[in-house]
Amino acid sequence: MAVNATNDYPSGAAGIFARVRSLLTGLTITGRQALRPVGTVRYPREKVVLSPRWRGALRLRGVLGRDEISVLSAGPPAYNALIDGLYRENRLPACVGNCPANVDARGQGYLLGEGKPSEAYELVRERNIFPGVLGRICHHPCESACRRNYYDEPIAIRPLHRHAYEEYRKVADERLKPFTVHHDERIAIIGSGPSGLTAAYDLMRLGYRVTVYEKDEKPGGALYSGVPAYRLPREVLHDEIGNLVKMGLDLKLGVEVGKNVSMHRLLDVYDAVLIAVGLQESRILPLPGHDAEGVEGALPFLRAANWKGDAGVKGLRVLVIGGGNVAVDVARCALRTGATEVRLACLESDAEMPCHPWEIEEALDEGVIAMCSLGPEEVLVSAIGSVRGMRMRECISVFDEKGRFAPEFGDEYTDISTDVVVFAIGQAPVLADVIEGSELTLTDRGMLPVDGTVFTTAQEQVFACGEVVTGPGSAIVSIATGHEAAESIHRYLQGQSVTEGRVVRPVPLYEEYQPALLDGVEGERRRVTVPMARPEERVTDFRPVELGLTQMEALGEAMRCLRCQSEVCVGCTFCARTCPDYAIQVERIDDPGQRRVTLYDLDLSKCCFCGLCAQQCPTDALTHTGQYELTFFHRDLMVFDCDEMLRSGEGTRATGRDSGREGNGEVSD
Amino acid sequence: MSGLIWGAIYGLAAGMVISLAAFIGVWGERKIAGRIQLRYGPQELGPFGLLQTGADTLKLLLKEDITPAAVDVRIFRVAPLIVFAPAAMSLAVIPYAYGFAPIDTGVGVLFFVAVPAISVVGVLLAGWSSRNTYATLGGLRAAAQMISYELPRTLSVLPVVLLAGSMRPLDIMDAWQWWWIPLTFIGFIVYFIASLAEINRVPFDLPEAEAELVAGPFADYSGIRWAIFAMAEYGGLVAASLFGAAVFFGGYLGVPGALGVIVFVLKALVIALLMLWVSWTFPRMRPDQLMATAWKVLTPMALIQLVLVGAVISWL
Amino acid sequence: MGLDVESRRVVEVEEGGTVEELVVNVGPSHPSTHGVCRVIAHLDSEIVTKAEPVIGHLHRGIEKMAENRTYLQVVPLTDRLDYVGSMYANWAYCRAVERLASIRVPDRAEYLRVIVCEMQRIASHMMAIGSAGADSGAVTQFVYAFDQRERIIEHFEELCGARLTYNYVRPGGVSHDLPEGWIESLLAFCESHRKGLDMMDKLFFGNVIARGRMKGVGVLSAEEAVAWGASGPVARGSGVEWDLRKHDPYSVYPRLDFEVPIGSNGDCYDRGRVRLLECYESCSIIEQAIAQLEPGAIMADGVPRLLAPLPGDAYDHIESARGSLGVYLVSDGSPRPYRMKVRSPAFCNLALLPMLAEGHLLSDLVVILGSLDPVFGEVDR
Repeated sequence: MAVNATNDYPSGAAGIFARVRSLLTGLTITGRQALRPVGTVRYPREKVVLSPRWRGALRLRGVLGRDEISVLSAGPPAYNALIDGLYRENRLPACVGNCPANVDARGQGYLLGEGKPSEAYELVRERNIFPGVLGRICHHPCESACRRNYYDEPIAIRPLHRHAYEEYRKVADERLKPFTVHHDERIAIIGSGPSGLTAAYDLMRLGYRVTVYEKDEKPGGALYSGVPAYRLPREVLHDEIGNLVKMGLDLKLGVEVGKNVSMHRLLDVYDAVLIAVGLQESRILPLPGHDAEGVEGALPFLRAANWKGDAGVKGLRVLVIGGGNVAVDVARCALRTGATEVRLACLESDAEMPCHPWEIEEALDEGVIAMCSLGPEEVLVSAIGSVRGMRMRECISVFDEKGRFAPEFGDEYTDISTDVVVFAIGQAPVLADVIEGSELTLTDRGMLPVDGTVFTTAQEQVFACGEVVTGPGSAIVSIATGHEAAESIHRYLQGQSVTEGRVVRPVPLYEEYQPALLDGVEGERRRVTVPMARPEERVTDFRPVELGLTQMEALGEAMRCLRCQSEVCVGCTFCARTCPDYAIQVERIDDPGQRRVTLYDLDLSKCCFCGLCAQQCPTDALTHTGQYELTFFHRDLMVFDCDEMLRSGEGTRATGRDSGREGNGEVSD
Repeated sequence: MSGLIWGAIYGLAAGMVISLAAFIGVWGERKIAGRIQLRYGPQELGPFGLLQTGADTLKLLLKEDITPAAVDVRIFRVAPLIVFAPAAMSLAVIPYAYGFAPIDTGVGVLFFVAVPAISVVGVLLAGWSSRNTYATLGGLRAAAQMISYELPRTLSVLPVVLLAGSMRPLDIMDAWQWWWIPLTFIGFIVYFIASLAEINRVPFDLPEAEAELVAGPFADYSGIRWAIFAMAEYGGLVAASLFGAAVFFGGYLGVPGALGVIVFVLKALVIALLMLWVSWTFPRMRPDQLMATAWKVLTPMALIQLVLVGAVISWL
Repeated sequence: MGLDVESRRVVEVEEGGTVEELVVNVGPSHPSTHGVCRVIAHLDSEIVTKAEPVIGHLHRGIEKMAENRTYLQVVPLTDRLDYVGSMYANWAYCRAVERLASIRVPDRAEYLRVIVCEMQRIASHMMAIGSAGADSGAVTQFVYAFDQRERIIEHFEELCGARLTYNYVRPGGVSHDLPEGWIESLLAFCESHRKGLDMMDKLFFGNVIARGRMKGVGVLSAEEAVAWGASGPVARGSGVEWDLRKHDPYSVYPRLDFEVPIGSNGDCYDRGRVRLLECYESCSIIEQAIAQLEPGAIMADGVPRLLAPLPGDAYDHIESARGSLGVYLVSDGSPRPYRMKVRSPAFCNLALLPMLAEGHLLSDLVVILGSLDPVFGEVDR
């Protein structure tokens, strides 16, 4: 039943009584209110408390040309504190935050845009020891978090790494200086992969003497043996490792710990040992027929393809089992080593494939045939004991509702005829020999128990990092663990607490962006297209697929960087584009070294204080103030120019130039 | 000739008293209204904001005296004085202290209820001369209202006159007995309500009805002329509360000298406070309801009171 | 002066000569027109023979301006439609955009929208009730109502930084999550607000003079209310039980328990008191919504900066404080709406004024206008 609003007086005498009473009630109410303490403020003496989300007249915190954009640079132990501090203040650029190693991509963009590629290279190298390498192979989580995704297209951060490397290479000899040694302690690092060398670099910077043991004849670990040469030319890798050697790294090649030298001896000679051996063994499913001739693991296959350029599949059909990046690498290598037909079969559906979308796209361009939602059932073996084909079973779903790996299979079987089956379904470490002679023990599954935050092991003197700890992952994740391990070693050697103040460093989750609308977007706002070799040409050999940027392209791309969260306006004009009232005008000059904002006009007579501009400002330079008192002697003063926009945000008044500042405040009439 | 001089002196004194009363009255009203409306009221200028009215007066004096082009200039200019003068005059017959009223006359009560009615002419002229529909409507409303409420107001005072057997205020004071208060209470209520109407206060402020007529007859006045209207209103408020305190509550209660004056003024203050309280509590009436109240409620009530007192007198 | 003097009625009287109607121009700058409405009132003495609202003084061409702005940039424009209830216009517009672009709004955002819109309903009704007091001379009632409104506005300021034009509801969600301590202070407000409503009910709606001003004035029958397209408290005051929250449920309203107050006489009093009673219901809705509020996202995933819905059209309406507020959008696939049309309840309700005011006094005219609670930003657009 609805509530009724009609509220009539009773009739008769009661009504008259109610009428008179209503007058008295009214007097009582107002009388009582008058005796209550007053709820308002005494205006000039008591200030009204404004909400910190105020939307008063806008101001700029800083502007390019007046303010420097600080580059995130600090020695290895201090860097984490710097990043954490910025993150808490919400001033960490998304690209830096989303990078496992927190590489300062913003600083790189800034320095490149200023025409200082070598400085940019050195800045990147502080956190990512191989900018040239990662500039080719990184899966660039920075770019997916790039704020520019929101406006048009992300900055090409990875190609810019590569460009910086190529520029640096020209002047490397002048700029390379060995680190000075000022600690007596010596450190041994087992494995010259990305994580081991990162730790080595950090420790050298801290003044330690570092020796790296590598069992192969060439350094680089997984970068050397696992990453195909068409993605990473070996001379780049070895050039960058060579730079490390020039900086004072003692690299011992062809020395296998556990065979040529024992762990026991290392522990005697060195003050700390870091295990960064990575994963050496490919997992092969124990299916019927898995020991037939022609069944291979991914790592041996890739090693053979990368080192010899021949994996023994010339003229054969190859089936790759697995949907990860390694599987795609194997498939593409198989094409390049002369396989006639390459198929890739994975459990996941095409939307769920764990490899990076651009990888599978390039592979498909080159002619790889992908077959999704198929689980391996049995290797079909011919009479002479070699592989004849593979029986696959339909896979309905891979993950259960909680997201765990629990594949469910259907009843449909498919036979694929092939000559070679390569399993790319995971790798495992081989550690038994390495830890021989130490107090360490392995788990049943052959893994080494390691603390995932500070990378210590059961033995105080021994640390571990890289894929040994994280499992198969990307190079940049390994690099991140290398930094952490180096810090732990440093703390251990200096007698500090290893765990104090350390936090699990998960990568902060940044917003996923939908592709932005690009209709009518000006050419200079678009992302540079990284030139690629044509698919039909590139499949024939191991030439690099991706070609570099020219200097002008790189410069233009670096200029696109919005310097997010720097609190310095770079004149990106997105506030002007967002303003519903066209109240903002921005102009800038883009000359390298001369980059500055030449015009920033805010017309307060148009501004509707909606807050859209400040909310979307990538640099956070544009902010609202609590200045709600806006009175002007002259209407021209309502247009705040750049100087006026840079006023202090204190107080409650903003009155344009007549607010007491010296010079050109007079209004002539 | 001496009468004229005395008149001038008296006029000056009354003007000053009314100015003072308005000065404090405005402040008091703003303070009371403020407290009722959950705010402080004036508080910045002087102690408790007492000097705020002075500043406002200064502002009103300094403001341009605007005379709109379309008005009938002479009537427009003289109207505020016609409103102000009766309010000042009515103060003359009030017995302020033991044995003292500025003009001690045998028709004092009649004088008091009759003279303020002259101001209706001023309001009507102000409205008419402004040549403005709002002002004209307001002036007409004022005329209707003031004339209607003269009747219950006069009738409400009569019982006291009957009891005292004289219309000379000082005689009433002398004859006053405490039991007159319950006896003439209905009369007081009628007097109170009619006085509210007479001085144009909410719920009877129809002539200036802010929401409809936008200040009615005073719409085109500004500066000092508007201030004179406002002062006349406060003069009316002061006069009505002083007279009510004298007639219905025995004024100085036979206490001679300054003490008597204080007692008298305190009583009047209570009545004035009540008037302000009422006007900041209730909504405004509609013209037809206003008339109905005058003729159908207040006049019968006053007549009943008259009959009641007559019966009591005959019984005495 | 633009007064419609030509149409004034002139009557010849027996005594010779003529008598003319008095034409009074109420507005556009007048304390009781709730904005910039102008009513040309033809008076026979004080009785209104014809009252003609003249609208358009606040026309800014918002519907046309919207065609030149991106979907996000239109939101600040909708703030300025009904500037007493910005949240409603924000929401109605965003619902239309979300329907057009098939965006699913997270639950928390829906609850936040319901909370802020019910707060907005209280704020808007306080404005209506307060100005009903001011229209009839009860200035203190006006201040009390505004005191209650101020509490809401302070909460809004804390929430989104603005006191009037919030720009809070955005396509896909809302712009800010709740500040710390906000919920507690809002619940405390609901508690005290009920007391304030009780007080106003006695001080104003119980008062004999106020009843005299509003009872039986501007009577609108239920049939006429339906025929004239009245909605909101104006229709409900006439006994038409029509509330989109109940009868075309949207958002999370089906999960909330509340009642729809209606009147039976259809006069100014019923319209006003329906508003007062709705405030009680709004308090209870706010409390229920807060109880059901769960942590989560406040914005749909991946709403791009430039929305470009597929070509098509969408209409959606919500129950604003004034009635059914609808927004119709046509998209041509570009990032700007091809056409926007607002179905404004204030406009439809204002159309009743000439009918309701005829035969009443000039004093009643302002009370009737106030009881329709028009906001001219929305009438003129």
